Amino acid sequence: MPTIEDLVATGAISRIEVELDGREQAQRLLYGTPNFIEWLGKLINGEESEGHLGQATAVEQIDQLFHSYLSGAPLIHNRQFRYIRAEENAVWELKTPDIRIFGWFMKRDCFVCVFGDWADKVKDHDLYRGYRIAIRRLRRELGVDNTLCVQGVDPGDVLSV
Amino acid sequence: MTSFQFDIGSRARNAGRFIGRVRNELLKALSERKKEGKLSQQELAKKLEVHRSLINRQLSGEANLTLRSLADLAWAMGMEISFELKKPIVEAGQNQPVTTSTVGHGQIKYIDGGRRSSLCQKIVVSPIVSAEAAAKSLR
Repeated sequence: MPTIEDLVATGAISRIEVELDGREQAQRLLYGTPNFIEWLGKLINGEESEGHLGQATAVEQIDQLFHSYLSGAPLIHNRQFRYIRAEENAVWELKTPDIRIFGWFMKRDCFVCVFGDWADKVKDHDLYRGYRIAIRRLRRELGVDNTLCVQGVDPGDVLSV
Repeated sequence: MTSFQFDIGSRARNAGRFIGRVRNELLKALSERKKEGKLSQQELAKKLEVHRSLINRQLSGEANLTLRSLADLAWAMGMEISFELKKPIVEAGQNQPVTTSTVGHGQIKYIDGGRRSSLCQKIVVSPIVSAEAAAKSLR
């Protein structure tokens, strides 16, 4: 059964970091698969279209989301306004106004990003099911479906702060 | 690659996180007002004479928040806004800003010479205490 260190050593996942403010420390861990990191790179390099709903661009929204997650900020304000949502099959969705990120929690406060996509595309093409199935398949292929995967659907199961 | 630094540059980072902080502060204030039973989202929209969906989109980040709409929301929630610009405090032992991008797809670039060029902003939405209530609390 592989450990998180094994997954990092084999390149199955990589640690994702963002710059924290001077007096902040990371309270949570964030990882991404090579495909997800490639998608992030494309977004930074402007290879994806840059249409956005609010005042922040897609990369700014993601930076703000990752910063909130890593610095331990609340990700849920109330039932309606939340940055995180449980899907079926132990899959979780991180949300910004324009972007949806799908992945799973290996442990509490330890999330792996697997797919990133535009919110409109996910909703218009109903990609939720496909992403859920693909993430479950990936966990099985990595041999972590029964070991490094939090099953709970309550935010308190996956976030400690 | 064992580690990936998601580095969008100090200017974009500063803008995105500031916008996020303003939104979070509004959502926090609204949640507190709801818990106190003093204001629902519907009542907020009614007070501002706008459709509820506009409030939703502004609070979710899907619609722009102008300074006026920010002031209106704070007014409708019975809160006041405090806003200040100050130079960041640099202390020994704190995190240092990233000076290079480690994105594997593009050219490695210096972001801002390793120095924080932006000013530090802070915005807080806090309940308005009436002169009468303040005087009462002093008695």
